[in-house]
Amino acid sequence: MKKIIFILYGLFLLSLTLFSYSFVDHNLIYYQKLYTGFAFNNRGVVSVLYVVFVILFFLFYFLIIKLINEKIIVFKEIKYLVGFTCLFLLFSYPAMLSYDIFNYVATANVLFHYHENPYLIMPIAFIGDPLLLFTHAANKVALYGPAWIVISGLPFLLGIGNFFMVIINLKLTVIIFYLLTIFILWKFTKSLLAISLFAFNPLVIIEILVSGHNDIVMMFFALFSLYLVKQKKIFLAIVFMFLSIFIKYASIFLLPVFVYLLIQNYHKREIVWEKIFLISSISMFSIFLLSPLREEMYPWYAIWFLTFSLCLPKVKLLLYFSIALSFGLMLRYLPFMYLGTYFGITPIARILLTIIPIFILCLYGLFKLNKHKKYEKNI
Amino acid sequence: MRRVFFVVFFLFIFSSGNVFAESNYVLPYPSFMPGSKFYKLQEVKDSALKYWYFGNFGQFTYNLKQADKYLVEAKILFEYKQYLLAYDALQKSNKYFLNAPDYLDAAKKENKNISENFNLLQEASQKHIEILESLKKELPTNVTWRPEKSASTELNLSDLINNSIKIRMAI
Repeated sequence: MKKIIFILYGLFLLSLTLFSYSFVDHNLIYYQKLYTGFAFNNRGVVSVLYVVFVILFFLFYFLIIKLINEKIIVFKEIKYLVGFTCLFLLFSYPAMLSYDIFNYVATANVLFHYHENPYLIMPIAFIGDPLLLFTHAANKVALYGPAWIVISGLPFLLGIGNFFMVIINLKLTVIIFYLLTIFILWKFTKSLLAISLFAFNPLVIIEILVSGHNDIVMMFFALFSLYLVKQKKIFLAIVFMFLSIFIKYASIFLLPVFVYLLIQNYHKREIVWEKIFLISSISMFSIFLLSPLREEMYPWYAIWFLTFSLCLPKVKLLLYFSIALSFGLMLRYLPFMYLGTYFGITPIARILLTIIPIFILCLYGLFKLNKHKKYEKNI
Repeated sequence: MRRVFFVVFFLFIFSSGNVFAESNYVLPYPSFMPGSKFYKLQEVKDSALKYWYFGNFGQFTYNLKQADKYLVEAKILFEYKQYLLAYDALQKSNKYFLNAPDYLDAAKKENKNISENFNLLQEASQKHIEILESLKKELPTNVTWRPEKSASTELNLSDLINNSIKIRMAI
């Protein structure tokens, strides 16, 4: 039974990787041989397939978590599962749902190829550069912190001018940080269930392993900083907290928690890490909610709080809410995928698709509560 | 009929003054002026920014921005008859404006497409000339600047403005 699930999961990941290539952009000259235009010419079919993939992914998630909870899947097998999830999705097309990885390349290109300051000079200034054909934020100066630009330099330079290699290197970098995050979460929780809830969450996997978002790098440094406080290495903890902030700035919302930890550490008081994770998840959720003020609520921003909230399996309400929101955020891509526009009914459809799973969860909760009350009355 | 034509022709020639093409290039608002407590601080900040604007496009942008800033500063100081300070500001503007094309040449050598920046430089040059031409009309040719407790300075404003226009026309 377990073997069959593993094989099916492997086949699912393989299908997802293949499906991602139906989104190859016509202007992406480096992937021209892989271009089919399928996702753009068959929006209805692709949207249905996407929903099927999301539902299947969540079903696998629940199944894997259930087997881990029942101790049918053990530590070694989790390692294998995580390993081949990374391996399969390393080769998936990264711009299936977001073009951010191309922005990373374009920003690194400004600094490491043209030797210009990406905070002043936009990629669009380099007329004739092939990256301009498919980079969506070419008319913006660097959006990310300096720490990320420096880190992205290594995969960029190791790509030695080969676009495909640069993309693989960037994805590999993000995968390494995903694995390091799981490792640190393990150090904190020592719970297979907690780390699996994070590691196998479909939103986490798609946004990190498929789309290659750098949010996981920011979260790793933040977590590592908290871990260093636990180890009483305060100077290094401060360094890593600032490193995290200088990846994508959002982790600045963890500073109050960090300062609280330093105070507790100074007074040699005991730190309840579950409480710290809970406060951190609330803090990061609040900046996630504020994100529309800057631009919009992108699904990958959820990684900011999911890193903490999914690792608290005992806080059931938070866990269910996080999973329901992950599902809703994955559906957020659907209106654009189907309609091909960000205007018209797309904005309202995106909001509805995001909140409907949470609404259903609330209804289910109320139904359960009602049933429980009736049961108690009967007794 | 011929007489009427000549009258209209001469009226047209003498009634129309010098017309310059107006540039859409936007100059910055004036910043802190000499005498302000923050002027020195701003000078320090600008000197430090030179290193932030690395790369040939960066340096081009930095030099053009500085040229714009000092031109605006010079214009206002001239309007307030602060000739010595204005003279210095315009000299600084010239220095930075002269640097800008060198960085474009260097960028070209790096195979960067400089067409847009070159257009920007031309537009800036046109705008600067507009300002300088208007100053030329209003300012005296020579000024003797007599500070309270030091020797006087002879300022040839006409030469400076003509030279400034020449620098910008060379683009």
